[in-house]
Amino acid sequence: MRLRTSPAKLLVLVALCLVVLVELRTALAFVGVSLSIGATVAVGVAAIAALLLWAVRPAGSGE
Amino acid sequence: MPNGATFADAYPTQARHIRAAFWASFLSLGVGAFFGLIQALHRTDILRVIESQTYYTVLTAHGVFLVISFTIFFLVGVFQWAVTDSLERPPVDMRFTWGWYGLMSLGASLTAFAILAGFTDSIDVRANVLFTFYAPLQAHPLFYVGLVVFVVGTWLAGADWFRSWLAWKGDNPGERIPLPTFMVLTTMIMWYISSIGVAVAILAFILPWSLELTGSLNPTLTRTLFWYFGHPVVYFWLLPAYLLWYILLPKLAGGRLFSDPLARVVFILFVLLSTPVGIHHQYLDPGISEGFKFIAMTNTMFLLLPSLLTAFTIIASMEHGARQRGGEGYFNWLTALPWRDPAFTGMALAGMVFAFGGFTGIVNAGMNINYLVHNTLWVPGHIHTQVGTAAALTFMAGAYWLVPQLTGNRLVGRGLALVQVVLWFVGIVFMTNSMYRGGLVGIPRRTAEPQYEGFEYEVAAGSVGELNAQLAIGGTILFVSAMLFLALMVLTAFNGGTEPIDDGSIPPALSGPEDSPAVLDNLKLWVAIAAVLVVIAYSFPLASIVSRGGLFGPDIGPIPVAIDAASTVARTALEAVSAVVR
Ligand code: HEM
Ligand SMILES: [Cu+2]
Repeated sequence: MRLRTSPAKLLVLVALCLVVLVELRTALAFVGVSLSIGATVAVGVAAIAALLLWAVRPAGSGE
Repeated sequence: MPNGATFADAYPTQARHIRAAFWASFLSLGVGAFFGLIQALHRTDILRVIESQTYYTVLTAHGVFLVISFTIFFLVGVFQWAVTDSLERPPVDMRFTWGWYGLMSLGASLTAFAILAGFTDSIDVRANVLFTFYAPLQAHPLFYVGLVVFVVGTWLAGADWFRSWLAWKGDNPGERIPLPTFMVLTTMIMWYISSIGVAVAILAFILPWSLELTGSLNPTLTRTLFWYFGHPVVYFWLLPAYLLWYILLPKLAGGRLFSDPLARVVFILFVLLSTPVGIHHQYLDPGISEGFKFIAMTNTMFLLLPSLLTAFTIIASMEHGARQRGGEGYFNWLTALPWRDPAFTGMALAGMVFAFGGFTGIVNAGMNINYLVHNTLWVPGHIHTQVGTAAALTFMAGAYWLVPQLTGNRLVGRGLALVQVVLWFVGIVFMTNSMYRGGLVGIPRRTAEPQYEGFEYEVAAGSVGELNAQLAIGGTILFVSAMLFLALMVLTAFNGGTEPIDDGSIPPALSGPEDSPAVLDNLKLWVAIAAVLVVIAYSFPLASIVSRGGLFGPDIGPIPVAIDAASTVARTALEAVSAVVR
């Protein structure tokens, strides 16, 4: 399986996703938008899944 | 140093000494992290393996092992490496070098003993005073003696580096101080100026008092002396991380440092500005006038400047490196950085967390808004993003590059090392986000049981339960990450018969020392200006504290004692009379 990016970069990107998620939830709360834990986890799973899908999608298809 | 040779090849004895400092540091990290885990699980009531009364013994150990022992042992190792490598000469007398290491180890052991003895009743020694040891909390004298011996060890270390530099200067008249050595010397100047404060606090007041030579002390005075040292000490932790960011990170990114002169300016600004600000830790202390606090706040805001300069220089150097490696575009160059390299990635992530934590520091520093977060969990949140990550994660990442140079062995588990630094990044964000949010709704720090009957914190988004879970998960991830780091270090130390991937050479800066004004290297001038600033910032506050509370406290003289005794007698008499009348 060929990745569109290196495993190392993917690892860092997944970590960044988690971090942004945690901080974004806080920032949203400050402007009166409160995400429940369930919703936060759902957004996180979706974002990371999308990231992984993008990574494993064979290079050259699309774009 | 000959090309392609590791530091260990070129300076075997010195490498052994630096390794000894690193092992002392790593041991402290392991013990400290273990206590951190206990705290994280205890405070959140998830798992309580200790009695709540023991919490302060644990917390004292966590603070002292991590911010005194782990950080300082590591940084003296880094500084020794930086000086030897950049001056291309060993210390003048290796016995002296081992001597200060021995003093530091002795001091650390005494203090560690005094703290850890608190876990058992069979030894009558205790030091549950937290790493700030505010009077009137009192520890066993060994605790203070150990701290003093440790600090004296660091002073001699500094003297050793100055001595190496002077010897080098004799052989290289008229040459600019090599940048790494310049950074070490300026940092040590700051350390000398500031650690005097804590030395006076301990030797003149706290130690005699704990030995019962003096009956009393002035807590405001000892606190002020502590914070006179307490703010610069954070730069003592941070500047070695800066050194690694300036010296190592550009190289790891595949490029060269953007500007040597800017780096020198930054370190000088720290010499000048890091001491006259300590009162910003005392915004809520009674007995210090608001005006002095306001001055400390203003000075503190100026301190943002060198950190912003650093952010600029480091990112510019990284971009330069990335473009050397073929990176292109406005942001695409980021993908050309060596993310596979745990040393690079760890430092880059540490820098990111540092920037974020810096903004929370502005909240701490603002006098009015500080009242909102003072003594809440927000503050440990800040501590863990700054010393607990900007410094600690940079040190761990730096070790992935340095330890192979110091042992001549290849790093074991490069991939795992990458996972380790990423875990720390995620763990710290989980834990500190919870701490910051908890602090904003008033959850106190330094408490084993922060939950109260009949009262609920109003958390924005979520609940205290969620915050607790997040803190515990983050803390556990951090603990796992720390253990992984230590395991990789031990394995690397035993990985004989291999060679490091990288040669130890450091490329010169793009804009080199020849572009920086010679006055920057005039260390005497900067010492003089720094001293003047300190006198301006501290003489009035100290004088007013002493005139208000007395050098040895408000209740030392015979008059207050008499009044006290008289009022006690009067009160008892009144009570007796009223009881009879009723
Ligand atoms: C293994 C990872 C760590 C965990 C789980 C952890 C956990 C904690 C917790 C929960 C507290 C708050 C205690 C309270 O106020 O009741 C705390 C305080 C603190 N931590 Fe950590 N920590 C870790 C690593 C570090 C590191 C690496 C450093 C510094 C290099 C550090 C420095 C401190 C300091 C200075 C305090 C404040 C101590 C005090 O209030 O006296 N911690 N830690
Ligand atoms: Cu400070």
